[in-house]
Amino acid sequence: MKVIIAQIINGIALGSIYVLLVTGFNLMFLVGKIIHFAYPYIVVISMYACWGLLKLTNNPLIAVFGTIISSILLHIMVEPLFRHINTRKGPIDINSSFIVSLGIALILTEIMSHQLNYGFPIAFPLNWMSSSIFLEINLIRISTGQLYTLLVSILIALALFILIYQTQLGRAFRAIAENISKARLQGIPILRLNLLLYGIAGLLGGIIALLFSMLIGSASPWLGEYIALKVLAVAIVAGLGNMKGGLICGLVLGIVESLIIHFLPGSWSNALAFLMMLFVILIRPRGIFNKNSIES
Amino acid sequence: MAPNREKIILKIENMTVRYGPIFALKKVNLKIAQGEIVVLIGSNGAGKSTLLKSIIGLEKPTEGHIIYQEKEISLWGPDHITRFGIFLIPEDGGIFRTLTVEENLQLGAYHFFSQYQERIEVVIKLFPVLKERLKQVAGTLSGGEQRVLAFGKALMSNSRILMLDEPSIGLSPKYIVQIFETIQALNQRGYTILLAEQNVIQASKYANRIYVLENGQIVLNGNASDLRNHPRIKEAYFGS
Repeated sequence: MKVIIAQIINGIALGSIYVLLVTGFNLMFLVGKIIHFAYPYIVVISMYACWGLLKLTNNPLIAVFGTIISSILLHIMVEPLFRHINTRKGPIDINSSFIVSLGIALILTEIMSHQLNYGFPIAFPLNWMSSSIFLEINLIRISTGQLYTLLVSILIALALFILIYQTQLGRAFRAIAENISKARLQGIPILRLNLLLYGIAGLLGGIIALLFSMLIGSASPWLGEYIALKVLAVAIVAGLGNMKGGLICGLVLGIVESLIIHFLPGSWSNALAFLMMLFVILIRPRGIFNKNSIES
Repeated sequence: MAPNREKIILKIENMTVRYGPIFALKKVNLKIAQGEIVVLIGSNGAGKSTLLKSIIGLEKPTEGHIIYQEKEISLWGPDHITRFGIFLIPEDGGIFRTLTVEENLQLGAYHFFSQYQERIEVVIKLFPVLKERLKQVAGTLSGGEQRVLAFGKALMSNSRILMLDEPSIGLSPKYIVQIFETIQALNQRGYTILLAEQNVIQASKYANRIYVLENGQIVLNGNASDLRNHPRIKEAYFGS
């Protein structure tokens, strides 16, 4: 029983990162009108930036800011590509955005495989990982890394939900999510808000990269694919674009994955995510929380 | 408010809008004086909506000029034009159905949010039904209430010119009269109105001037009182 509780705690920490990833992915889907498959890949390359900065400067503060800035810059850099697709005449072609994002993902993987650390996985310093024990009761252990991850994730998720549901900027994002033509007619500055959206997604991605590096302590060129597939699965299971659904499903996946690792080899966790996805698609094709709306 | 014919606030000169080889608008000239109600009439596909969309910046003219308050605005975007005082209420009202009534009104004041409180008081005084519905999701309002919300949203902006694209479409005769009375009331409060309508009988009752569009060209224009009796209008729209 104690082992299961310990695994659930691990799962909540991991799940909270999935929640942030899915929130960023859904935000890009709803407001940016793109399927940003490369989002987790940018998170992973930001982890590489963090690792590099730590190695170079040994200064955690520089690493933190550098990671966030690199993630924001990468997002701002890819924005014109998606803008070009979405501002073409005719209805927005979300499938094209998926292909472009997939291309970005492959390029980033190639860069990580060949140019960074000779393609070998990277390991973060032990002091960065915050692996010291914050609380220990028999087998139940909560590391400071897990605690940070959980606290920061809750704070960020809360801040994002306040931004979306309580601020004028959030209302504008939701208006764009509902109908971009009406939003344009309303006088909402779509281009400026789109750039801001990529900035916010970049900020979120940078924070996720920091949390991930503290929680798992390593990264490899293939980590992006591993996370991206899960994020896609969670987003589809919850219902593409369903922010609240993504929150619940992300957390559930984290917990289930941690429990599975206890009973089965870890490599089964991806299969499980996709089994869940297949099952949900069969019975609820639009996801469990089935409204494709930021409101739901 | 009596229109000030001396003060032209919106002027369109030789405007052409083309989609490839197809002319949506051809050499259109139009003037609107401050405080006027101007009605654009024409059948489906005549170019009324394209004209309104060009003024708000959604369509870019291939040729010609749009001058608002002595500034050339033909290359401006909708966000700039809306902030500068022109607002378009589209055919479906342009409301955000998944947002609440209050959120819709807040978005109406997007560029002037610091003045939200004073503006909402004015809007609620004009349209008391919105006060009871503030927390309601806009998509659950009745058709007539959604039109009222569309007006409320427009008034939350800094608009001087309200453009309406077929506001009476799909409404019952009772609501149609109400809509036109609201338009007249807004005009009396100082708003200049540019209205695209197919309901010529109602629209011509309230209009100061009428422009008739056919195949993207202005074929007739003049005072509403004169054009109502014009044989071409009578034949095409009044059935006599």
